[in-house]
Amino acid sequence: MKHRITRKEDLNAADYLIEVEASMVAERFLPGNFAVLITVPRGERIPMSIQKAEDGKITMLIKKLGKTSVELDSFEVGDSLEAVIGPMGNSPELKRYGNIVFASDLVCGHAENYALCKALQEIEGNHVTSIQTFPTKADIYPKKELSEAFCDEYYLTTLDGSCGIKGHYTEVLKDLLDEGKVDIIFAGGDIPALRDLAGLTEPYGVPTIVTVRQIMIDATGMCGSCRVFVDGEMKLTCIDGPMFDAHKLNFEDIINRMAMFKEKETRAMEYYNKKILPSVGFT
Amino acid sequence: MAKINKTRVPMREQPAEERIKNFDSVPLGYTDEEAMAEAQRCIQCKDPSCETECPVNMKIRAMIEKVAEGNFEEAFLIAKEDNPIPAISGRVCPQEDQCEGVCTMGKKADAINIGKLGAFLGDWAMQNGVTEELHIEERNEKVAVIGSGPAGISCAVDLRKLGYRVTLFEALHIAGGVLQYGIPAFRLPKDIVDYELSYLQKIGVDLRLNNIVGQNIKFDELRWEFDAIFIGTGAGAPRFLGIEGEKLMGVYSANEFLIRVNLMKAYKFPEYDTPIVCGDSVGVIGAGNVAMDAARCAVRLGAREVYILYRRTKQESPARDEELEHALEEGVIFEELVNPTRVLGSEDGWVTGIEMVRMELGELDDSGRPRPVKIEGGEFTMELDTVVNALGTLPNRLFLDRTPELETTPRGAIKTDEKLMTNVKGVFAGGDAMSGGATVIQALGEGKRAAASIHGYLSGI
Ligand SMILES: Cc1cc2nc3c(=O)[nH]c(=O)nc-3n(C[C@H](O)[C@H](O)[C@H](O)COP(=O)(O)OP(=O)(O)OC[C@H]3O[C@@H](n4cnc5c(N)ncnc54)[C@H](O)[C@@H]3O)c2cc1C
Ligand SMILES: Cc1cc2nc3c(=O)[nH]c(=O)nc-3n(C[C@H](O)[C@H](O)[C@H](O)COP(=O)(O)OP(=O)(O)OC[C@H]3O[C@@H](n4cnc5c(N)ncnc54)[C@H](O)[C@@H]3O)c2cc1C
Ligand code: SF4
Ligand code: SF4
Ligand code: FES
Repeated sequence: MKHRITRKEDLNAADYLIEVEASMVAERFLPGNFAVLITVPRGERIPMSIQKAEDGKITMLIKKLGKTSVELDSFEVGDSLEAVIGPMGNSPELKRYGNIVFASDLVCGHAENYALCKALQEIEGNHVTSIQTFPTKADIYPKKELSEAFCDEYYLTTLDGSCGIKGHYTEVLKDLLDEGKVDIIFAGGDIPALRDLAGLTEPYGVPTIVTVRQIMIDATGMCGSCRVFVDGEMKLTCIDGPMFDAHKLNFEDIINRMAMFKEKETRAMEYYNKKILPSVGFT
Repeated sequence: MAKINKTRVPMREQPAEERIKNFDSVPLGYTDEEAMAEAQRCIQCKDPSCETECPVNMKIRAMIEKVAEGNFEEAFLIAKEDNPIPAISGRVCPQEDQCEGVCTMGKKADAINIGKLGAFLGDWAMQNGVTEELHIEERNEKVAVIGSGPAGISCAVDLRKLGYRVTLFEALHIAGGVLQYGIPAFRLPKDIVDYELSYLQKIGVDLRLNNIVGQNIKFDELRWEFDAIFIGTGAGAPRFLGIEGEKLMGVYSANEFLIRVNLMKAYKFPEYDTPIVCGDSVGVIGAGNVAMDAARCAVRLGAREVYILYRRTKQESPARDEELEHALEEGVIFEELVNPTRVLGSEDGWVTGIEMVRMELGELDDSGRPRPVKIEGGEFTMELDTVVNALGTLPNRLFLDRTPELETTPRGAIKTDEKLMTNVKGVFAGGDAMSGGATVIQALGEGKRAAASIHGYLSGI
């Protein structure tokens, strides 16, 4: 079954939004789920968080990082993806938590932020706060893709202070923690930032649940590429995650192993540029 | 009676120095004349022991008789009666422990090359477009088959032939299970697997790829919609030794290594998108078929030294004889009697070597093989930059994690009764998900047995 692209927009210079037809995924989606995309028959299987699911379509926020995400950016509305598989992964329990904070600083993070704030705010007794961090003003997503509309409290920060609060989400969070206003934290995005977050919240004893990205192949629990260590025990991000207790995760291992295919990924990009660009008239 | 040739008609193969540069089939197949000559060596035993040792009891004698006469079509149809995939089983069965191991000819001379004759017939039928004629009488009952490995394929085929409406759910984007993602193309060319799978669709099995039961389809939904269910989800969970250093870059499970290479075609990177990093010196832990496949893939990916690291000796290796021989011909080095204790790494997180301890063989263990025992002071290290864990298999967890109602063994395999029915009425299981890991032909046999049981169950027998 082909999956037609129904909407595609730039979010900033590096990130874009894509909406595709995927009725099975859309019908069964729960916040926190991801999808696995195969863009072309020779393609890899890449995991992407789902921001929202409506009318048989799912929306994802994608960063142009390497070959597949750059190539997908050349697709247009009306083009089709080879496969959209999911929903994958587990969703956190949607229940009354009290004061919830969702913090994010990258595509994969902002997408869950949107989905989870929306779902959790509907539950009585929840007070939802969202903090979204962008490097600079030009990187900030269009307002309708941010989670502000689904929050009781909302903070936007930029690293250089060009818009909103200056600094990273961890800094806003520190104030909230000091005020004793946080019962649980969900977070996603840059992995080293999540490691710092874990270090920040641990002394406060506030449960901290983070979305982990680890390189995936099959995403069905067969290869072990996405393994992470939780309290020393091996877990698979694809079927046990992607959300884990940040205070029990071995972050060094995740950060280390994500670099394993760097050289090959650079080669794939070079190959792609050489093959594709000349044919569309670049030199 | 003419004198019978004691030795097999040799199989032509790609020479080792050439085949290590490609992923094409190593054996080149029999010509018509060669197949007939090999078949003519069969003495047509009155009581063919070969057939009793074949897990699907293929009518080997009759099949070979027809090959000897040059009547390949009939020979193929005889094979097909019991075995939907002779082209595949002929290439992957451990024949030396099954049909060929007990062949009467084998007592005084070379056993008949039953496997290669089966493969010859499957290939011949594919090239000549020959299939069996089917008259399917449709029934109303619907059966769901989960997993499209050999167990699922054979169960689906048999149920469909009986007229059931069969839907086959497969988690991955390509059907075939281990036949696709595990066994490399130089051993089992993928056009053969594709052809057998196209047969499924030709006879009207509804194949649904990218459907992960328990994840994006609930098991309960299947129980509502279908009158019976067969579980053939396999034993493809990754395994590691659990020793220090396994977090390092350059450490793979055999599944990851093989899925990248075979399913995702990383050997054609960057033409295909999925990469693999394979170093110059590769250590593969284990000595079964999976280990041989990983080692031979590493050779083809350009590794200069590839080691099989095994606790026992070559004699105890559970791999097919042919794979072991081929691996050695291709330069794979067999390090016997070693047990890895630690993977060593560099500052930047890459594998640099492995620490091992030398072993010796002690008394026989439960499996009847000598137990490897540590030699005191036998520690040593070996420089490596890639380590592949090929340690045997564990049942796939995703489905089982989400179906707590199914009873399992302590090792996580699904429990069944003698009819292959699980503790849940109308739900059957077979193949590696039930056995914990065995062979293609055993999984296939269980798929067939389950189909017969399901037929019995649904028709109230
Ligand atoms: C659960 C999960 C959710 C994700 N959600 C999003 C999302 O919402 N938006 C988004 O842009 N990205 C998301 N990612 C990451 C995304 O899968 C990778 O960016 C993508 O695979 C990169 O492919 P590429 O060919 O473009 O780049 P590559 O050249 O393959 O890789 C570039 C870099 O991306 C990382 N990467 C590569 N492959 C993967 C992979 N399969 N999984 C994780 N990281 C990888 C590596 O660090 C690598 O250095 C998610 C990953 C996971 C595991
Ligand atoms: C590398 C390797 C080499 C081997 N070599 C040989 C050999 O030479 N000879 C031999 O006889 N045997 C060999 N074996 C063993 C043999 O392949 C297996 O015993 C056999 O394939 C088991 O068949 P199966 O149908 O039970 O499972 P599999 O072949 O494992 O198929 C299971 C299928 O189920 C799918 N699945 C899993 N979970 C779900 C779910 N929740 N929903 C939908 N689908 C799902 C999987 O994606 C997979 O496609 C080898 C195994 C490996 C790994
Ligand atoms: S199916 Fe396997 S065991 Fe049976 S005859 Fe063929 S090769 Fe031998
Ligand atoms: S046992 Fe050997 S010789 Fe006898 S019928 Fe079978 S294949 Fe032929
Ligand atoms: S991606 Fe293969 S086990 Fe998770």
